[in-house]
Amino acid sequence: MSAWSKPAWPIRAAVHAFVYILAATMLVPFAWMCSTSLKTDVEAIDVQQVALLPAGSVSDWKWGNYLEAWRLAELGDVYLNSLIVAVVVTVLSVLHNALAGFAFAKLRMTAKRSVFIAMLLTMMLPYQVYFLFAYILCGWLGYVDHLHALIVPFLASAFGIFYMRQSIITVSDGLLDAGRVDGLTNFELFWHVVLPSIKPAVGALAIFTFMASWNNFFWPLIVIDSQENFTLPLSVAALSSGLYVQSWPVQMAAATLITLPTIVVFIIFQRVFVQGLALTGMKG
Amino acid sequence: MSVRSSTSGWAFAAFPLAVIVVFTALPTVAGVALSFFEWTGGGRPKFIGIENYRAAILHDPQLIHSFRNTLIFGVATVPITVILAFVLAVALKAEWFVGKTTVRTIIFLPFVISIVAIGFVWRWVLDPHSGLLNMGLESIAADRMFADWPVPWLGDSPWALGTMCFVHVWRNLGFCVVLYLAALSRVPRSLYDAAGVDGAGSWQATWRIAWPAVRPMTLFVVITSSIWSLQVFDLVWVMTGGAEQPWTDVLNTHLYREFAANRLGYAATIGVLVLIVTAVITVAQLRWLRGSAEAAS
Repeated sequence: MSAWSKPAWPIRAAVHAFVYILAATMLVPFAWMCSTSLKTDVEAIDVQQVALLPAGSVSDWKWGNYLEAWRLAELGDVYLNSLIVAVVVTVLSVLHNALAGFAFAKLRMTAKRSVFIAMLLTMMLPYQVYFLFAYILCGWLGYVDHLHALIVPFLASAFGIFYMRQSIITVSDGLLDAGRVDGLTNFELFWHVVLPSIKPAVGALAIFTFMASWNNFFWPLIVIDSQENFTLPLSVAALSSGLYVQSWPVQMAAATLITLPTIVVFIIFQRVFVQGLALTGMKG
Repeated sequence: MSVRSSTSGWAFAAFPLAVIVVFTALPTVAGVALSFFEWTGGGRPKFIGIENYRAAILHDPQLIHSFRNTLIFGVATVPITVILAFVLAVALKAEWFVGKTTVRTIIFLPFVISIVAIGFVWRWVLDPHSGLLNMGLESIAADRMFADWPVPWLGDSPWALGTMCFVHVWRNLGFCVVLYLAALSRVPRSLYDAAGVDGAGSWQATWRIAWPAVRPMTLFVVITSSIWSLQVFDLVWVMTGGAEQPWTDVLNTHLYREFAANRLGYAATIGVLVLIVTAVITVAQLRWLRGSAEAAS
């Protein structure tokens, strides 16, 4: 070990302190959210003392806030809407993108190169310039205020096709030729040879797509009007503007119900999440 | 090399490409065209030439405000995100750092939660009267340091812009840390050995070896986070209610209001301006970072 490898202990201590404090700021708001969600309205706005835990024993805490939040914000329906949209979009768009990526990477196509470049250019377009007519189009198609509007425009994406093409191009041609000799059609090749050999990339794209759909806010705000078609972000925005409830504890109970599942899912799948996103960033 | 095929690739690519053409490409062309018209969504659009652009640049002070705020957003958040993310990644990569995995998990956490939910929770923490921050500051008597107490962290003041920049960095930091961690793990050991330093984690190794070696990732992080700050909407919407205020408005909240008020031609004009700014910033950063990379090597 050379003298460079390990800084002196005060420096190490300072680095640890700095990083830990930063990490703590990531947790504090969520801890405060959970704590508030179990307080009474009076307790929550009591400026005399900053109590981290609600008063009384665990059974005294206001667990009823959760029931009230669930009922008032109709979270059952909202969850279902978000789940339907995100699952359908993820499954179908990953499939479509992989198929198109396969075509660009390995199949014969008229005008392949120019179409591919044109597609890459659409990736640079900000949504601010195309959402207007996408909305008008959804109006013509009768999709406005309907979950269709959150699904159909997202059935494929230029980024997804590009990403799938970059992965599929690394699959060896020998493997595909062998499949052809066995008499597989292009689709069978895709399904039995290509997809299994690019599993990590498919996983990364699926996570990326799911998150984008689950958290999308601007577009649902544009096309969805009625509460029965709300997705989670719309419902949170309505809550935070005080549409259903004025009580901070009930609002925070709703926020907990909305964020907690994401946190749990993330902690369970964090390996896939982190590796997948690092992979996505690298190729993008 | 393409594999010989009986069916053309178009059989697979036609539908996905059609989705992109119908919902992205054609609406872009139509949007650019619409920026030269006046239209409320009903009836016939009226051609008015560059009148929308004249109005936007000369007669819309709120657009200037929101443009300024968006620029401040980018200028404030991008360098902080890049430097903090790099430093954190180096620390988390060092062999002597205790608790790497846990810290990485915690720092990444805000990135997976919807921005709307994050803005909502922060609004409660930052509530001027009963929020955790102000109560905490009062309890250590730090409130005397501020001229206007309680500080309206999210009112219409430069404070609000600063607050939102902070939350924006806070949310996106973990993603950039993960990107830098991936980039750092690809820096070959031989680079450190050649310079006579032993692995990451020392000052010299960090700034002389690691920082130049991850330059391509820095380019990616800078461009991605610049685009994020140009596209910021969710956070501002939920933290300020999207109100028309000089210090909290950004381009997208302004655009949304114009859209909601059925001034579609004018909304399209703002969209085109965002497109132009995005293109200019991306090209400039590509040139600048590529240029300085060549100068360094």
